[in-house]
Amino acid sequence: MTSATDNLLSRPPFSLNGTEKQKYLSGAVTESIAHHYENCPPYRKWMNKQGFAPSTAFDDLSEIPYLPAALFKHMDLVVGEQDDIVKILASSGVSSQIPSRVPIDNVTRTRQMKALTSVMSDFFGGKRRPFLLADVEPSRAEGNDVNLSARIAGMRGYLMAASQQVYILDDVENQPRLNESLLQKTVEDFKISGTPFSVLGYTYMVYKYVIQPLYEQGICLDFPEETFLLHFGGWKMLQDQAVTREILNEQASAVFGIPAGNVRDIYGFTEQLGVIYPDNGNGVKRTPCFSEVIVRDPLTLEPVPDGEYGLLEFITPLPNSYPGAALLLDDIGRIVTREPGPDGKHGTSFEIIGRAPESEVRGCGDTLPDHIYEISSDTN
Amino acid sequence: MKIHNLFEDGKSFIPVTGDPLQAPATETLQPTAENIRRGQQELKKLSIDAIIGIMDAFARDLMRVDHPLANVTREMGTGYIPLWMRRANLEKLCDLSVNGNRKSLDQFEILGNIESRKFRAQPRGTVVHWIAGNVPVLGMLSLLQGLLTKNANIIKAPSENAGLLPAMLESLSRFEWKTSAGVGVSGKILTDAVAVIYVDREDIEAERALSAIADVRIAWGNRTAVEAIMNLPRRFGTEDIIFGPKISFAVVGTEHLSSEDDASKVAHNLARDVIAFDQQGCNSPHNVFVERGSSVTPVGFARIFGDALGAAANRRPLREVTPADTIRILSVRAEYDIRGEAYYGKDIGWTVAYNEDESNLADPCYLRTVFVRPVDDIFDIPPLCSVNTQTAGLSVGERGMKLAEALTAQGVERCPAIGNMSLYDAPWDGMFPIERLVRWTSLG
Repeated sequence: MTSATDNLLSRPPFSLNGTEKQKYLSGAVTESIAHHYENCPPYRKWMNKQGFAPSTAFDDLSEIPYLPAALFKHMDLVVGEQDDIVKILASSGVSSQIPSRVPIDNVTRTRQMKALTSVMSDFFGGKRRPFLLADVEPSRAEGNDVNLSARIAGMRGYLMAASQQVYILDDVENQPRLNESLLQKTVEDFKISGTPFSVLGYTYMVYKYVIQPLYEQGICLDFPEETFLLHFGGWKMLQDQAVTREILNEQASAVFGIPAGNVRDIYGFTEQLGVIYPDNGNGVKRTPCFSEVIVRDPLTLEPVPDGEYGLLEFITPLPNSYPGAALLLDDIGRIVTREPGPDGKHGTSFEIIGRAPESEVRGCGDTLPDHIYEISSDTN
Repeated sequence: MKIHNLFEDGKSFIPVTGDPLQAPATETLQPTAENIRRGQQELKKLSIDAIIGIMDAFARDLMRVDHPLANVTREMGTGYIPLWMRRANLEKLCDLSVNGNRKSLDQFEILGNIESRKFRAQPRGTVVHWIAGNVPVLGMLSLLQGLLTKNANIIKAPSENAGLLPAMLESLSRFEWKTSAGVGVSGKILTDAVAVIYVDREDIEAERALSAIADVRIAWGNRTAVEAIMNLPRRFGTEDIIFGPKISFAVVGTEHLSSEDDASKVAHNLARDVIAFDQQGCNSPHNVFVERGSSVTPVGFARIFGDALGAAANRRPLREVTPADTIRILSVRAEYDIRGEAYYGKDIGWTVAYNEDESNLADPCYLRTVFVRPVDDIFDIPPLCSVNTQTAGLSVGERGMKLAEALTAQGVERCPAIGNMSLYDAPWDGMFPIERLVRWTSLG
């Protein structure tokens, strides 16, 4: 029998209007959390404490109890049998240096690939195109670079949308270095054949090893206007260089000769891998039919009205091997609109303004309370 | 070097909620330092009782509902200041700190039963206070003790709430107190010995200049901040007073767990200690050790305490939280829901976490999050303590003296009753701060 999740994944990602999405997504999420509830005792205990069971009726997805994604940094939560786990995903540990550990089984992995392919395919209008990859081809790497293996693994899903893969970095004494002649020759070939292509890579790899060296040399490669630069993985590794989105977009536009709107940041996170959110060129992202975003007030935890900022919660039925259907992140953002875009695509549009910084380690803020002289009775 | 002058000569140069970087700036500290030293000469002519008298009268005035700073006091949570400034508290504080005779702050006095010699507590000179930003009233507490000891004072304000202290000082400078003899004493005598400045934290030259003029350096803050200050060059003989990061806890013995009513009384007192400053003080309890063996079990106490903390939080709701705080607290809730028990409300306002198998001191989570730890015997707790543990609130009946002996031997510095943990008193962090602000001299 086809599950509600698989059914949802078979639909075009931005095809369901609000009412339809609520109906199908709610069904799939209910099915997903019922599976988690039955097969993950710790999750069942937690859900029971929330007074929520899979049979509990709800009017809105925001009523489903949500776990903080950070919990996966502290606990190993597996749904089903440990033997079914084929991979443990580890996040980059961006906020606290402690990585999340997310167990993946084959069902989850397949769903992740379907979801990612679905959005990428939609992005490129159903056609695959060559990718220039801002990384070193693993077979050409000189050393045993563990980071490289991890990067390539994290990139693999995106490569489903590639008709050809050209790695444009070389490994020179264990340091990535841009192969400018390869890049220029490949681009010339694509131009001559009239083949549209894209550049893809981790945000920091794209900037540090491609954009920055070209920009510093004042080189403009004059890519065709329809070329996209897709980057993902977050901005943490660029913080030290104070590289903002605006700087990256401006410099990328200058060295590639493409509109800044063709530089697209793809948002996603390990705890719901597979669901990706490319922006529209203006920093606004859209949820596909298999995911929804809710923005919560950090103090009351209630959903805030559209347009107001708060903590982002994402709901998706994809996770099968861990209870990650409803997760609250430390990312801050807001819902821009629930209306379809000018391209007719449905889904909730949202934007992210950043990640909650780790609280400063507190020092001694010793002071007295207002009721200092309401001395309590001595209970010694 | 850029010194932003926020308060000097009785005048504030910054609105209460203003940006300190907008205040007038100079490139030298020297005129300010000289100015407050001149002010200090007049302050030294006041008796300690006169200083206390004017502080007490100003405190009473501040409590008027129509006082211009009434709203500020309410909104910034500084209502305790006028309470702490009352005569009875200040007299006790001074007497305790200078060997029982506060008049030794004015003149040579006999101390104890040694009649052949007299002792005098002289001010040390210029006290520089580096204030932490997380609680806006720290500066006033620190400063008041600097004034009681007749020192010149420079406050290096934090960027947050930088205008609060200047506003209070300006109000004090305009205040006049009439002695019982009908003589007017102006608050400006006190405030002329004070300057409040702001310098950017990256301005090392300014920080060095501040350190160079200090006879006493008082540093409040986290470890990084305090260490940075202590590492600044200083003159030989400069005294350092450090109020660095520490954690505190409470202990409930079987004596107070024989019935739910008993436990509830302790729980309500503990809730007050938690609610005060939302656990940002190093005297705030983050853990409560509950002894097994009575009719109210540790997990039972956790539930009762949850009720008390929830009620207290309803009376004084949490006003502000950062997204990072929220995520941290939700993680604790989920983890303890799964591994133990967690009690909390609908919002992020309070949390009680319990695990039968955890008896260590949990790292603070802050914002009204308390870890209840079961122990078989309250005397299992002292080995968990160190110089990093400050206050242990006790509800342990007759065993209090013996437990306090064991705890303080391990590094704990205060053992008040649960419910009184939040009170700022002396000694603090192992010292009488006022005593450290004076130089003892003798005659005879």
